[in-house]
Amino acid sequence: MISKKKNNLLGDVIPVIIIAVILISLKEFKLVSTSRLLILQYIGLYSIFVLGINMVNGYLGIFSLAHAGFMASGAYAAAISSRYFFKESWMFPLILLFGGFVAMVIGLIMSIPSFKAKGDYLAIITLGFSLIVQSFLQNWRFVGASKGINNVAKFTNIYWVFGCLLFAIFIVRKFINSKYGRSLKAIREDQVASELVSVDVKRAKTMAFAVSAFLIGIAGALLVHLLGYTSPSAYGYTNIVDGLVMVYLGGMGSITGSIVGATLWQILIQTLKSLGTWRWVVGGGLLCMIMIFLNNGLFGNKELSDAIRAIRYYFSRIILKKNSPEETRK
Amino acid sequence: MSNKAIVSFKNVCMYFGGVKAIDDISFDVEKGQVFGIIGPNGAGKTTIFNVLSGIYKPTSGDIFFHDRRINNLPPNYITGNGITRTFQNIRLFEGQTVLDNLKIAHYSHIRYGIMDVIFTSNRFKKEEKRIEEESLAILDFMNLTSSAEQKAGALPYGAQRRIEIARALSCKPEVLLLDEPAAGMNPVEIDELNQLILKIRDHFNLTVLVVEHQMRLVMEICNEILVTNFGKKLTIGKPDEIKNNPQVLEAYLGKVK
Repeated sequence: MISKKKNNLLGDVIPVIIIAVILISLKEFKLVSTSRLLILQYIGLYSIFVLGINMVNGYLGIFSLAHAGFMASGAYAAAISSRYFFKESWMFPLILLFGGFVAMVIGLIMSIPSFKAKGDYLAIITLGFSLIVQSFLQNWRFVGASKGINNVAKFTNIYWVFGCLLFAIFIVRKFINSKYGRSLKAIREDQVASELVSVDVKRAKTMAFAVSAFLIGIAGALLVHLLGYTSPSAYGYTNIVDGLVMVYLGGMGSITGSIVGATLWQILIQTLKSLGTWRWVVGGGLLCMIMIFLNNGLFGNKELSDAIRAIRYYFSRIILKKNSPEETRK
Repeated sequence: MSNKAIVSFKNVCMYFGGVKAIDDISFDVEKGQVFGIIGPNGAGKTTIFNVLSGIYKPTSGDIFFHDRRINNLPPNYITGNGITRTFQNIRLFEGQTVLDNLKIAHYSHIRYGIMDVIFTSNRFKKEEKRIEEESLAILDFMNLTSSAEQKAGALPYGAQRRIEIARALSCKPEVLLLDEPAAGMNPVEIDELNQLILKIRDHFNLTVLVVEHQMRLVMEICNEILVTNFGKKLTIGKPDEIKNNPQVLEAYLGKVK
């Protein structure tokens, strides 16, 4: 940006404080029911999940389906660690970090095929990875095989969820506005050209996968400690599709889009719950409409600040027209 | 090999199966030269660039840059260490702004790590400021300042050509490879481009290699010209010698029966 970025500490801090106040009042003064509060927590943790997916699928532009596998590894690692090592509630940050790091290591390994394979073939490799993780967990006695892990301590509360979301937004924003983020966007557009302007493609891809898996792993760890149990069936096709739907709904390559996508989709499937199985018909139909009429998603490659600028521009033009008829006549 | 040679090919061959795209080509490029490579279509001109910039590994032979063998180095390494190219068919990052296109190309000489990014250290701020200033300086030099904030893909063809050169310059090269920079230009534009190439060479202290069809460009600005045909070296020499060389005329116009 040529227009010098002012130190926008104020612009960052104020929304955070407002959200914090809202959250505290919601939880402590019981302004909303427990089930609503639960939905809010789902929204928060799926926002982290979608931010993670967006790193690879959005910014790097690789169609990956590995997120279910990352989430499963993060969730299981966290559940095991809280059962055997970190039993106290004050150790929850360690649990979250452990889940994130285990997923990150697996993410680093998963970035290797992306050096060679491309497009559909890479999508199939990542799908295979997700399914391997699922069947591995289904057959591993230590983690309860297909019954999964029960009686996990319910450490997650709304503060943890939104604290982690804040952390995720912070990390992604820093990353995207650095040379690494720029190189991801360059690789998305033209991999050969970016190699020939000295971008280290392998390194950029490794980093994108690592950050992505780390965030998804944290989301998984939060989910396990929110529900109190986990089983392999939660990390199958439904999870893969859910993730993709939220990313495409919100828009690729956008932090705002990730959060909006997760929020809308979670609200939608929760409010349509009364329709029973029919909710997938309504929800799916709505999704088709959005894809047809807004095929970049709601915030494809845009952020909230861009939207606000556009709206401000639009209104300023309307006001200008009303106030100065002479000018329009010219 | 003379001591001054900055890039030299030693018996380089590049085969694709049975196709001999480059067959036993040797040449030296001296520092500060504008070195032209010409030849009919399919003569292996662009392949020379692809081998030199590391996209292809040569089948046999050696390539030296400053007396250092660079055959098996990855392209991003070669580019970051002094040999940068442009493309025959423009390959900009079209969805990014012109300024971002240049910033991306600064990748190899930005000195900060991931920790600097997360904590927004002073080094991060300093480096980001430096590359922005340098990018703007290059844009200014190329008369592109007014379009810095526009999407690269939305600009006219001539401007995109210049952006590509500007992006290549952002890698801080010692050797600049221009792959048909005058494609689709009229004579007036070619004359401007000639001036631009010479200006860039002097200002950034470069050695320039040009692959080109347009004789108007090649004959005017090149110090030395390599002529290839069917992957083989026909001759090498000064523009005047090339103009009157019967072999060259034959390759371009056919044999007189």
